[in-house]
Amino acid sequence: MNVHQVLSGAGPYDAVTTQALAFRERFRSWGWGGRDVAAEIDPRIGDKIAPLRSLDARDGDVLLVHYSAYAPKLRRVLEMPQRTLLISHNITPARWFWDHDPQAGVVCALGRKQLPQFAAAADVAAGVSLYNAQEFGSDVVIPILFDPAALGTPGPADRAGGTDSPTILFVGRLAPHKRQDAVIRAFELYRRRHAPDARLVLVGAPINWPYDAAMRVLAEEISPGRVTIESGLTREELAARWRSAHAFLCLSEHEGFCIPLLEAFHFGVPVIARAIGGVPEVAGDAALLLADTDDEMVAAELLALAVGDAELRATLRERGAARVAVYAPEATARTLRAVLESLAG
Amino acid sequence: MKPEEALAAARAAAAERDDPLPAGMAIEPTERVSIEQLMEWANIEPDVDLMRSTRKLGAPITWAKRQLVHILRQYLRELQSQQTRFNLNLLIRVAELEDRVARLENSRAPDGPPPSPTPPAAP
Repeated sequence: MNVHQVLSGAGPYDAVTTQALAFRERFRSWGWGGRDVAAEIDPRIGDKIAPLRSLDARDGDVLLVHYSAYAPKLRRVLEMPQRTLLISHNITPARWFWDHDPQAGVVCALGRKQLPQFAAAADVAAGVSLYNAQEFGSDVVIPILFDPAALGTPGPADRAGGTDSPTILFVGRLAPHKRQDAVIRAFELYRRRHAPDARLVLVGAPINWPYDAAMRVLAEEISPGRVTIESGLTREELAARWRSAHAFLCLSEHEGFCIPLLEAFHFGVPVIARAIGGVPEVAGDAALLLADTDDEMVAAELLALAVGDAELRATLRERGAARVAVYAPEATARTLRAVLESLAG
Repeated sequence: MKPEEALAAARAAAAERDDPLPAGMAIEPTERVSIEQLMEWANIEPDVDLMRSTRKLGAPITWAKRQLVHILRQYLRELQSQQTRFNLNLLIRVAELEDRVARLENSRAPDGPPPSPTPPAAP
């Protein structure tokens, strides 16, 4: 059986590309062929993903379209006779981008508009979360293939009792909807009230350098010398950040799935997150979830509890491990395989 | 403490505090772009300082890119003015249509004012 994966765009730090490459590894282990192509390719990705024009699907092959951005060239793929599975990775509403990255705003606005048409044209349309799937009226969920073994070992069971100063971590693109500005504010309130020597680490590639510069200025204004902003980390470096973190704070306003939640659970780091999009579904009962009406002051107090209350940390760690088990790669791989085999007939 | 009790405890603790939120830029979504904002955006003015290489040791590339913009400035100015002309004229038409629709809707409302005459179309 051949499964060809088609991506809107491919890049070295892009979660969708990482996902497609993980799928390809599974396909190889099942003895399946096919190739991976993208409409737009970042040259740093090398020859792992080929240009869309090189797609050569034969009768009986299956197409797997990863939809994550406006890509008019993909329309041609959906008109091909092969049976198609479309996985929507969720597109951020354009309203978050108009002021900071107009080009991204255009791509998101058009991408969200085009999604229902693309979903209707596919034989099966799935979301990475139910929240995601319901955006286009589907109930088929193929979650992110999350392999904790690839992340590295979790490290000590609990670091809150140590002598280290508390480290608060957020991992996610440096982008407006991720609200790193709110994370910085909540962190500073927490630091002032509860832990003067605490530090905040923000990990994620910026949408553009002016936004990166603006966030660095904001961090220095609000919490001088206490905030580190990093991107382009190796897998080992990222694992080291997780191992040294005392809590993960996510105040993002839009998440289709939020992979870092599972990473935090894997590393035994307590999670505080805004309950939006796919977050409640992925986090289950293993995170401290903020309502829309809760501001940074409440987030700061939750941070104090998550860092300081040993019983709370232990319960969250236990529940986090159970969430990682729910998203075990074998279970996701089985779901994916079943859908693809049903399409192959 | 159980996780289910944490949010209520945090809310109670936050309510007892009265320290202000740290100032500085706060990100907000742009829910509806006004015609005035569109007019501002329509007049495109790319900032040459935004042109830069993000690679390590990219300074020479940044310099070369900015030199290229400088060399092509006559052509780029022409491009910019043509695009701005189109953007602004399109926006004026949209604004006129928006006004016209609003007037028609008002005139159809039971207690709305009578319709005013439609202004002549722009040449």
